[in-house]
Amino acid sequence: MEQENADYGQSNPEFLVGRIKEGDKEAFMKLVGLYQQKIYVLAYSMVREREDALDLVQETFLRLYEKINSYRSGENFNAWLMKIARNICIDFIRRQKARKKESLDNLNPERLDLGDGHDDPSRFNPGELIHQAVVSLPAKQQAVFILHHYQELKYVEIAEELKISTGTVKSLHYKAVRKLRKLLARQLGGEA
Amino acid sequence: MKKCRYYRQDCLAFLLRELDSDRQQVMSEHLNHCYRCQKELREIKNFIAQTDDLKNELGRTMADIEWDRLQVAITESVFRQKESQSEAGSAAALKHRRWQPAVAGLLAGLLLGMFFSYFLLRPERWPELASRGNSKVNLPAGFVQKVDLALAQRETIDYLDRSQYLLLELLQAKSASQASAFLTQDKVQKLLTEKKYLNNQLEEVKLAKAKMLCDQIEMLFLELIQLSPQMSEAELASLREIIENRQLLLKINLIKRELQTSEV
Repeated sequence: MEQENADYGQSNPEFLVGRIKEGDKEAFMKLVGLYQQKIYVLAYSMVREREDALDLVQETFLRLYEKINSYRSGENFNAWLMKIARNICIDFIRRQKARKKESLDNLNPERLDLGDGHDDPSRFNPGELIHQAVVSLPAKQQAVFILHHYQELKYVEIAEELKISTGTVKSLHYKAVRKLRKLLARQLGGEA
Repeated sequence: MKKCRYYRQDCLAFLLRELDSDRQQVMSEHLNHCYRCQKELREIKNFIAQTDDLKNELGRTMADIEWDRLQVAITESVFRQKESQSEAGSAAALKHRRWQPAVAGLLAGLLLGMFFSYFLLRPERWPELASRGNSKVNLPAGFVQKVDLALAQRETIDYLDRSQYLLLELLQAKSASQASAFLTQDKVQKLLTEKKYLNNQLEEVKLAKAKMLCDQIEMLFLELIQLSPQMSEAELASLREIIENRQLLLKINLIKRELQTSEV
């Protein structure tokens, strides 16, 4: 019974956060183990660079440690942490785009430089095309799409994480897919 | 019957089995006889399959990562950064502490400076400082007194000399008419005026004996000036008697000598 309680404590984020606030390094390591893959999936689906995604995972945990005292007990820890991760990824993408002097907001099908895979098959890379199209989506549509397709969350879980209703999740997801289809129609084939 | 547009919005959720059971059933029935929505569903299915390229790519990159090692590396890195930040904080505090004696010394110096400035320039000294500021030459107070004394002595000796000269003429005159001719009222009046000026000086420097003698001489000159321009032999004799009785010439000599020896 005691062993069961100990195991529960080891995997309960609330419990681990309490220990981390007291400076427990082991508890912090446990928390990293619980969430590092989830954050990596989010980061990779947004930046599509393995090394950048790994750096963003580390930056997220550093930010988590700095902000740990602002976490309130009873709050959805998963949603709280993923919001931190998402903000860090968005900042990273903005910095990258600023360097390239491109604006995500101005991205449209005509300007989207997805390359023409039909003309040059050697340059055709569906993963890259999809990634560029996904990062061009409005923030909430992008978040819903990534959470569903790459983190494989159900609508209910996405709603809880983003603090919106399941109806809104369904609507945002549909709009995201419709826009992606339009953006990628020419490059990937199919109809808009 | 509702339009296809209404059902089409639910195609994605139907495909992903995210609709509730009733809605899922309604959608299924609609799809059985609506070829447009069937087409929409097929296209969405194809698109989702295509997005799996990125999903597969993601899966491949994740397979390479040593998650256990990453877990340790992240933890160590975060705690190392935290320690270096706290060390930097304490180093900064130590750096400040090293300057504390110098700062304390500087403050003490400032306080002492302020204290002495107040002591030297305090309001009670303002008149004194102002008077110093007005005079072109600052002389010690004792020096000025000595100069006043010396001047008074010189003036007194001068006065006594001329008085002595007149008194001698009065004593040595052969007749009253000769004395009258020599002792004109102008000469006497001049000496009386000089005495008035001398009075202040004698009082200031406190030459008591000289002042007493000068007063006696003055009395004599006042009597002399009240006489008629042509004095009689009796008047002359009376004046000579006063001079001799009071031993004015002797006193004049003594006082002069005293003043001359004590001259600065």
